[in-house]
Amino acid sequence: MPELEDSSQPRLATGCRWTGEGANRTLLYPEGAPRLPGTARAILERCDGQRSFAQIVQELATAYNASDPTQIRQDASAFLERLRQKRLIDF
Amino acid sequence: MPESPLALIAEVTHRCPLHCVYCSNPLQMVSPLSELTTEQWQRVFEQSAKLGVLHAHLTGGEPLAREDITQLVSSARKHGLYTNLITSGIGLSEARLEALVKAGLDHIQLSFQDSREASANWIAGTRAHALKLQIAPMIRRAGIAFTVNMVVHRQNVDHLEEMIELAESLQPERLEIAHTQYYGWAYKNVEQLLPTREQVRESLQKIASAQKRLEGKIRIDAVVPDYYARYPKACMGGWGRRQVLIDPSGTVLPCHAASVIPGLHFENVRERDLEWIWRESESFQKFRGESWMPEPCQSCDRRTEDFGGCRCQAFMIAGDAATTDPVCSLAPTHGLIEQKLAQINDSAPPLAIVGQEQFWTYRPQPK
Repeated sequence: MPELEDSSQPRLATGCRWTGEGANRTLLYPEGAPRLPGTARAILERCDGQRSFAQIVQELATAYNASDPTQIRQDASAFLERLRQKRLIDF
Repeated sequence: MPESPLALIAEVTHRCPLHCVYCSNPLQMVSPLSELTTEQWQRVFEQSAKLGVLHAHLTGGEPLAREDITQLVSSARKHGLYTNLITSGIGLSEARLEALVKAGLDHIQLSFQDSREASANWIAGTRAHALKLQIAPMIRRAGIAFTVNMVVHRQNVDHLEEMIELAESLQPERLEIAHTQYYGWAYKNVEQLLPTREQVRESLQKIASAQKRLEGKIRIDAVVPDYYARYPKACMGGWGRRQVLIDPSGTVLPCHAASVIPGLHFENVRERDLEWIWRESESFQKFRGESWMPEPCQSCDRRTEDFGGCRCQAFMIAGDAATTDPVCSLAPTHGLIEQKLAQINDSAPPLAIVGQEQFWTYRPQPK
């Protein structure tokens, strides 16, 4: 398995897609459909296979007005790694 | 007000080219003559989406036995549903698969009966295994999400490592290893299928080690056999709480097996709107929530987790759908499960010879 690096371009895995808008924004996959709260959604919506991981972290730091992106990088990385283990994210 | 169901299980037909001895279809199957039409299913998908359903699981029988399956997939997807085809693979061709993907199919779950061909064909009651091996790579190439499903029981669970290797070679995102649940035809064959305590223990170890080995590559979900559990499963996530099943004739049920429970009248989408059936009908309210619960469920902390277990199992084994699921170690009728387990574990169970058809009862074709 490749490590998540700054240059990685994470994307939703085959069979995962979004539905609904606003508070009903939901991630659909074979055996689940969680309504995602703020940060999880903010991370995943940026996983479009285009943005690099570094870019995603940068955008989140700006969006959340964080002075230290290190913590954001760490949290986002752990989150995406967990989702890759569930086969919901590829990078 | 009950919550909306999240998933629709659409049993679009009970016809099937396979005759699996563990099939969860009811013994009283729906005749092909009584099946809903394309337009009626389309209305079902529309009403389901309106009710808040997110997933449509198209199953059977064999859903590919319906000529209009592509139209059904297209309709489910058009109404915004995540569309899953649960199939034996038999009836799939490159052209048909391409049409299904184009129609918006999100996911295919392909079942296998064993890793060994002779045994797999014996369990399915037909020569399907070699065909499945040809079909699986076709699905993988189609670029949609792919789950391999292995149903295990006493006659094949000793090959579990081989079965996992087979699944691995087919490169799905997900592998479901499901211990047989004893309903329908599986319950009829329970003496032939129920694994021993030792087999269950070993299988759980093998699953855990495969989960570790394949982490990040294949996600393995396991369904454990509830006869050996201490507490019952949260059957269907609770009666009329998370899932709704519609049988080939349009009868609306809370689960695969509920038609066995006497005295309950289940409504049909031909006559009533799905939303009314879900929210208001007597059958869906019967075991919803906690007010129906007997002791020890009523005062048990687990009642909000397992909802008293399975109503159908309570009826099938204890003769009363409103009693605690007998698989629960706290149930007054738990002795009935212990008797079944003793038959398999303490005396010599019927000896199986692979290929011997008289060993068990095959699921026939609905007439």
